[in-house]
Amino acid sequence: MSFQFAYLLSVLPTLFTAALVNARLAAIIVVIAVLGGTALTILRSLKIAWVNAVIAFLISFIRGTPLLIQIFLFYYVLPAIGLDLSPEAAGIAAIALNSSMFITEMMRGGLQTIDPGQIEAATALSLPRRAIWQSVVLPQLFRRILPVLINEITIVVKGTALLSVITVVDVLRTAQQIASASYRPFETLAGAALIFLLMNLVVIAAGSLTEARLAVRRG
Amino acid sequence: MAFDPSILIQYWPLFAQGAWLTIQITAMAFVLGYAVGIVVALIAQIPNRLVRILVAAYVGVLRGIPFIIILFLVYYGLPFAGIRLPAFITGTVALSLFASAYYAEIIRAAILALPRGQFESARVVGMSPLQAMRHVIAPQILRSLVPPSTNMTLTMIKESSVLSSITVAELTYQGLIVQGNTFAPFEVFAAVTLIYWAITMAVAWLAGLIEARVGQAQRETIIRNPLAAEFLSFDRRPVR
Repeated sequence: MSFQFAYLLSVLPTLFTAALVNARLAAIIVVIAVLGGTALTILRSLKIAWVNAVIAFLISFIRGTPLLIQIFLFYYVLPAIGLDLSPEAAGIAAIALNSSMFITEMMRGGLQTIDPGQIEAATALSLPRRAIWQSVVLPQLFRRILPVLINEITIVVKGTALLSVITVVDVLRTAQQIASASYRPFETLAGAALIFLLMNLVVIAAGSLTEARLAVRRG
Repeated sequence: MAFDPSILIQYWPLFAQGAWLTIQITAMAFVLGYAVGIVVALIAQIPNRLVRILVAAYVGVLRGIPFIIILFLVYYGLPFAGIRLPAFITGTVALSLFASAYYAEIIRAAILALPRGQFESARVVGMSPLQAMRHVIAPQILRSLVPPSTNMTLTMIKESSVLSSITVAELTYQGLIVQGNTFAPFEVFAAVTLIYWAITMAVAWLAGLIEARVGQAQRETIIRNPLAAEFLSFDRRPVR
């Protein structure tokens, strides 16, 4: 059996349609994870000892165990305690939780690079807490963590492929379905690989563009 | 729902076997992946445009596609090329390939962070490029390699759970088998999770020891300004 490039091309349109599922899920996850990560960061800055201890424990748990297992936990274990989630919902919840933990850790690193003078100035102007977060800290923080955040987004995009294991019909599962009908797994999977590569290149390009624009605005 | 430990007592040999295979596979993938990573990072040093593009493509492709797809490509690709291997070897090869791209980038970045004069001076005193790498560059980048390599190794250990999808009988696979037999997802995944956690913590602890030996413990900057610390730090520190 030889590699048939024409076959690879013929499955691409179907895979592209399936890729919309991955793109949609990844977009939802990224929004939840960024919001969740930011909320966690603000919560941690309140320095409530037991809350921070719980969050630190969760972070250690999420960072110390495989994403696949976390997805299984949401998919298999939650129904056992009466919370029956659809495969998509379970997947979104698992990856979003995972990613928000990584994002709050990035933000922790980013916060340390912000000039303390900024906060002093904002306090001297008697800006309320909320305004200091909204107008002083967060805009600078997002700019600082943008490169790592883009990296995290590509990890999320790649993570959506794992949802095929819990029956979400995404690019990978579609590819497997095509392959089991045509007995051409290699070409079909190469097609799926190509699509993920493309999606991540788009993410990286969009990220670089945003970085460049932010750099210009900063002057 | 009550936690029923009898399932774990009954099936513990499966968990132990799975955990042991996970450790073996990731140890092999670490050695293989790092070896390939070093070679790729060295090749990347060759001042040639084509070479640079090829290295960038190798790293970019392996980092841009999900590991599960790399795994399936190797799994279906090797028989396609006439090579038939047991699933756990295929899995180890895929894991090594995946990790090698990241290790190569880590090494390349560490070399890049050194002053350029280091390599050139070594060449001037008559060392060959490889000698310069071995005796001048390598000893200097060793310290900065440890933290990112540890991170990547932990990622790799976690990604090895994906090998369950090509029937490699590692920890996750055994967990799914026990789950299929007992329909006790809570107990099973609690056990699997705890074992992974223990493995990654052990590796992190080991890396901490190595880091302490080669030096450069990363210390967080302490924000002394109490006003700023209110926003920029998560730690409660005595305010003086």
